[in-house]
Amino acid sequence: MMGRNYRFADLGLFIGGSFAALVLICGIFAPWIAPYHPNDQELLYILAPPVWAEGGTAEHLFGTDSLGRDTLSRLIYGARTAMTVAVAASFGAMLLGAFFAHLAGYFGGWVDWIISRTVEVWLSFPPVVLSMLLITGLGIGIDKVILAIVLVDWTRFCRVLRSEVQVVRGQDYVAFARLIGLSHPRVIMKEIFPATLPMLITLLSLQMGISVVVEAILSFVAMGVPSDVPAWGQMIADARIDMYYAPWGLAVPIFAIFLTVLSFNLLGDGLRRRLDPRQSAERGA
Amino acid sequence: MTERQVLRIRHLEIALRTGQRILNGVELGIQPGRILGVIGESGAGKSMIGSAIADTLPRGLGISGGAIEFDGLTLTDMTARTRRSLLGRDIGFIPQEPMSALNPSLTIGHQICHHLARIGLRTAKVRRDRAVELFAEVGLDRPQALLDNYPHQLSGGMLQRVLIAMAFASNPRLVIADEPTTALDVTIQKKVVELIARTREAHDTSVLFITHDLQLAAEICDDVSVLYAGRIVETGAARRIINAPRHPYSRCLNLATPNLKGRMARLMILPGTMPGPVERTGMKGCEFATRCPIAEGLCRTARPPLAEIAPGHWSACHWPERTGTVAVPKAADAAEGFVLGSAPVLRAKGLGKAYRQHDWLGRVREVQALRNLDFEIREGEFVGIVGESGSGKSSLTKMIVGLEDVTSGVLEVAGLDRATAPRAAFFDKVQLVFQDPQSALNPRRRIASLVTQALEGRAHALSKADQKALVTELLGKVMLPPDVAGRFPDQLSGGQKQRVNIARALCSNPRLLIADEIVSGLDVSVQAQILELLRALRREAGFSLLLVSHDLAVVRHVCDRTLVMCKGEIVEQGPVEEVFSNPLHPYTRELVAAAQGAGIDGGP
Repeated sequence: MMGRNYRFADLGLFIGGSFAALVLICGIFAPWIAPYHPNDQELLYILAPPVWAEGGTAEHLFGTDSLGRDTLSRLIYGARTAMTVAVAASFGAMLLGAFFAHLAGYFGGWVDWIISRTVEVWLSFPPVVLSMLLITGLGIGIDKVILAIVLVDWTRFCRVLRSEVQVVRGQDYVAFARLIGLSHPRVIMKEIFPATLPMLITLLSLQMGISVVVEAILSFVAMGVPSDVPAWGQMIADARIDMYYAPWGLAVPIFAIFLTVLSFNLLGDGLRRRLDPRQSAERGA
Repeated sequence: MTERQVLRIRHLEIALRTGQRILNGVELGIQPGRILGVIGESGAGKSMIGSAIADTLPRGLGISGGAIEFDGLTLTDMTARTRRSLLGRDIGFIPQEPMSALNPSLTIGHQICHHLARIGLRTAKVRRDRAVELFAEVGLDRPQALLDNYPHQLSGGMLQRVLIAMAFASNPRLVIADEPTTALDVTIQKKVVELIARTREAHDTSVLFITHDLQLAAEICDDVSVLYAGRIVETGAARRIINAPRHPYSRCLNLATPNLKGRMARLMILPGTMPGPVERTGMKGCEFATRCPIAEGLCRTARPPLAEIAPGHWSACHWPERTGTVAVPKAADAAEGFVLGSAPVLRAKGLGKAYRQHDWLGRVREVQALRNLDFEIREGEFVGIVGESGSGKSSLTKMIVGLEDVTSGVLEVAGLDRATAPRAAFFDKVQLVFQDPQSALNPRRRIASLVTQALEGRAHALSKADQKALVTELLGKVMLPPDVAGRFPDQLSGGQKQRVNIARALCSNPRLLIADEIVSGLDVSVQAQILELLRALRREAGFSLLLVSHDLAVVRHVCDRTLVMCKGEIVEQGPVEEVFSNPLHPYTRELVAAAQGAGIDGGP
């Protein structure tokens, strides 16, 4: 029983991790991997089907869109946008959320009260609407998307981590660290942070998946990146008009989002199982 | 053995799916109306017996051999359905932790009536009346009102009474009590044990009493079986086994238990640890041979069978008659007499602690946790605090170490006023040994880093070599091998962790050490090791100790003086022997009476 579960977790971790890494590599090395520039138009070849469908050519593996741009290249450049947003926004949200979570969970009392109430009020806004509101205020652009996601999603980290910090705070070893005269920041960094780190990494990985979706939604409604920067959401929006006779243009970016989010979730789930000390108490005697 | 027996366990074997045996050829029999105690340390497999009867073995474990017969029926052959109908009706259970055995979101009445409905009481009115009757029988006041209460509104002792009432509700033939008093206070423990004995008489029920506590078993049981590493090593009348055991393990347990009466003797320290399931499956000889003081070659090659050595007395030893020769080895240095310093390390005058509570209207209410405490601890003196939970012991220790503020009176620690002197002045002078080593040791640090943690707060760091030497020295003080330094706390046994815990507190050479219930969660043999360690450390390290414990025998064994606390006040203080042999305050008398019980006779 146990052995089987363990192997399954490992498999999920492996698949999720490798696909996420693949997307990340695509993002970083997009100019070298992509066969065309994402904005190059080939007007003779508009709405070309992918290579395996009837009439497809090897020149455009995933076909072209209504403006004759190569879908594969746009997909790869889209990964670049998606990953930039996912990594930067998730780290930003993590830093902000973890900072307040440790303050609230460690000090308790009125610090905790203020932070927790703020988080609750924050969470009562629907996240997508809140981010659209922020974009309307901030204007479009990749940095604005990142900022919007950070400002919306730090609460997710804060809430979950705060309760984790509270649990660790109650352990006697934290009291001992205070008794030998370590300062509050040192206790937090040396005794509490290492214990919440596994949870942090897991949340980070899940947040990356969420960020990918939010970025896609924002660029779908043209509130994300500028129109000359390729993004998956934008590709869906562009392909929407021709979806009845060129369904591939729609399916490919949707599939890319789906797989990316799934792989981040698998990665997060696998990491949670691997890093949770409650589940891996046997470190080998 | 021809008498009719309510429960008969024949050659029971419980094994992991992987084939490693947890229980090995266990034979037990209970005659009607008698109490059989099963004594064993943690890891012996004693709870598995109860689980096997109740069919609640943990996942991955199964009965691999033998049979459990109840009233002539073989439980192990029954279908799950018939077996379940037997449980709760003919076999009752009293759980270990009453607080977690009841559903916190349902009223007591709801839960007991549900149980009564299951055993066949038809109408709600009958059930309620019966519940009230049962509550009155177990000595609960206001039984009517109790039915509408929720579990959190009752104390642990009251909840355990409710559960005892439920266990005996159907006049079962057999009740299984798995460590029913471990989670309770001493004074309540005694009442609960008496209650079980009394209720058993009224219902003519047999009881299987599973415990790690020799004293308790001596008090309540008719017969006792001693379990070691999954095997019964001795069975017989309780008095005989506890006072004149015929198996070296029983004898060692007896010698390792500190007592309240009789001569003070060193405690027996068993070397090593009990073999785990993997080791014991591979063993050819007696499981106890590796730790036995009188083991010979034969013990390691041939396993002694459980043989009747006197009428009604079985022992699994090749040489049961030699048991009497097992004695506590003499200490190399018998120099117990050492001089106490005259300077007080700690002085409390009119010390008090009040907590302020705000209710929802913002009104402030003061709760006095401690009132008017006057006491002193001199240099090198070991002082014990006894009292039940809620008496303010923990508030006091927290105040001394500085985790709580003083609200009234004066508290001087090492010549400095706790309230006015800067916190930093106390870090090297007072240290706390925490109760639960599991929670007190950061699982992500290695032992070496844990032990020298106290130095991390210092401005100047030690060199690597110096630190290593210090680690070895500290581990040596608590009698741990130096190679432990590289391990993580998870890789140590409970007793070893508690030693690391002590070593860590000794790191900064404190003048006062505060030990909060440091042996309460430990097995008898491990407790003996820690207590002897404290006594040994006292000779060389030269610190004062404030030991908080609910166990009077432990305090008597280690301390010079004792303070008895009750409801936030010190009701009696004085030299240990004097206070315990001639208690003046009624509360102290109650405590001493509860602790003495039938008791084990003094040492050899």
